[in-house]
Amino acid sequence: MVANSGRIGTVTSPRGDDGSGRITVHGLTKRFGPVSAVEDLTFAVERGTVTGFLGPNGSGKTTTLRMLLGLVAPTAGEARINGLRFGELPHPARVVGAVLEAQGFHPARSARAHLAACAAAIRVPDAAVGHVLTAVGLDTAAGRPVGGFSLGMAQRLALATALLGDPQVLVLDEPANGLDPEGIAWLRAFVRGFAAQGRTVLVSSHALAEVEQTVDHVVVINRGRCVHQGPLARLRGRPRVLVACPDPARLAEALTKAGLGEIESRRDGRLAVTGADPARVGDVALAAGVAVHGLEAERVDLEQLYFGLTAGAR
Amino acid sequence: MIAALLRSELRKTRSTKLWWGLLVPVALLTLLVNLFGGVFTLALGAGPDAEDRLPLLLASLAYSLALAATFSGVYGAISAAGEFRHRTITTTYLTAPGRGPVLVAKLLVAAGVGAVYALVTAVVGAFGGLVGQESTQFPETGALLGVVAIGAGVCALWGALGAALGTALGNQVTVLVLLLVYVLLGEPLLSLLLTANDSPAVAGISAYLPVNAGEVALYDVPARVLVGPADGAELLGLAAGVSGPPSWWGGLLVLAGWAAVTGALAGVVGGRRDIT
Ligand SMILES: Nc1ncnc2c1ncn2[C@@H]1O[C@H](COP(=O)(O)OP(=O)(O)OP(=O)(O)O)[C@@H](O)[C@H]1O
Ligand SMILES: [Mg+2]
Repeated sequence: MVANSGRIGTVTSPRGDDGSGRITVHGLTKRFGPVSAVEDLTFAVERGTVTGFLGPNGSGKTTTLRMLLGLVAPTAGEARINGLRFGELPHPARVVGAVLEAQGFHPARSARAHLAACAAAIRVPDAAVGHVLTAVGLDTAAGRPVGGFSLGMAQRLALATALLGDPQVLVLDEPANGLDPEGIAWLRAFVRGFAAQGRTVLVSSHALAEVEQTVDHVVVINRGRCVHQGPLARLRGRPRVLVACPDPARLAEALTKAGLGEIESRRDGRLAVTGADPARVGDVALAAGVAVHGLEAERVDLEQLYFGLTAGAR
Repeated sequence: MIAALLRSELRKTRSTKLWWGLLVPVALLTLLVNLFGGVFTLALGAGPDAEDRLPLLLASLAYSLALAATFSGVYGAISAAGEFRHRTITTTYLTAPGRGPVLVAKLLVAAGVGAVYALVTAVVGAFGGLVGQESTQFPETGALLGVVAIGAGVCALWGALGAALGTALGNQVTVLVLLLVYVLLGEPLLSLLLTANDSPAVAGISAYLPVNAGEVALYDVPARVLVGPADGAELLGLAAGVSGPPSWWGGLLVLAGWAAVTGALAGVVGGRRDIT
């Protein structure tokens, strides 16, 4: 999108930045006095994927991301990006861009001036400022003091700042905060596109529903500890289709013949077909001449699962 | 690496009003002080009773530069601590290869702003002197340039010292109160206590406090020009409120030492601080 797009995936530094786009967190622990914010956290994020970092309020998400970015010193353990600790990256902003909670702007400085100061620090041409402003839809407000920005506009500016170095890795802490529905939809598409280019995204949220459509993997933490990690699909389980049908027995027979044998009768009289999609079930029913009164892809209630995992939050 | 961060800090400085917001009172005070150069004569106690006309402008200019130095320190402190107040420090650290280089760039830019304050003070002060001090002699170019150059050094060091203090404390109100209370109240009181001591060694410490060291550097040349090299040191001690002052370069070195110590403190404290 900005400069240097050709750099992705290549070894960029003689100092050992391996260009892998990997985030690794190992045994990461942080105590603030008596408060244990993060406890022995270990996970990895691979390039080309979007990983959701989920947990209720106060579970340690922000603290973890700030340790990853060298802003908070871990009590124990370490976090690496491209094989290096943040402090060892020779050009950090060109490797990782971040949108963090409570990341501020000088109220009297314009968006453009803020980005220009950052562009100088990370040594990208000033033209990149215009590019990122356009990318986040802030062109018209670019000259105004940031103090007058709405929450969503400030969030867009934070994202523009993160993108300025055309980074390989994006770290987003509750990025949807304050965004309008259009902004959220745009952000989702952007994040997916970013990962599709072989880059890495780690995005935190306290609500699974918020990132459900975006993420491939999830790391769920509660009270600073990891309670689940893996592909989203594993959290969700396999998809099921619920069919309402006046003659369930015949439909079940037809489905079994068609290779969709994992059928369950539900108390409401409907059949639950595991590992199928509605179109396929409909086709089979039509071919067998069985009437179908209702066909529904089951929404596994991830929220319920998530609540189970994060029960007992502070 | 530092060059990029310097550019960034300069852009930050230019995009807010702080630097010239503080420059306005510096220029106004300078104009007043030098228009009515007599203020300084009063400050010295009895005026020199020589009938030939004295280059008093040197002294009033040095006094203005001392004021500018305080404003330089305030600028450094407010700008550095402002990054914590507005939480922009997160972005600053995320875009820089380490906190050390950020600190160095901040100190250098604050020093630069201090030097600019000194130069503006020199220009406005010389103008005020030309207009308002008709009864005095305009100083020799060499001495004038000397005072201005020393003033630029003192203001630059105070700018850096302020920025270091702002980084070390990380809180705008705290650093501002601490700095002003110390400069306006703490050190004058401390100097009084020290100079009242009978032991010359203890009394001599007064010249090595940061504010006094800067004033020693500033008033050395004017004192010598006004009363001659022999009595210069005595007048200098009076003007700076210290006993047994070193020469101007000694004062500059002492102030540089204070700036370096504060800078090192900022490096250690700021380097370890958790940005949450
Ligand atoms: N600077 C600090 N000093 C003391 N405790 C802190 C500090 N920062 C965070 N904590 C504590 O660490 C724990 C984790 O906080 P953190 O901000 O990382 O949670 P979070 O998952 O980001 O929450 P949220 O969803 O509300 O943003 C909390 O108990 C919090 O009170
Ligand atoms: Mg948080």
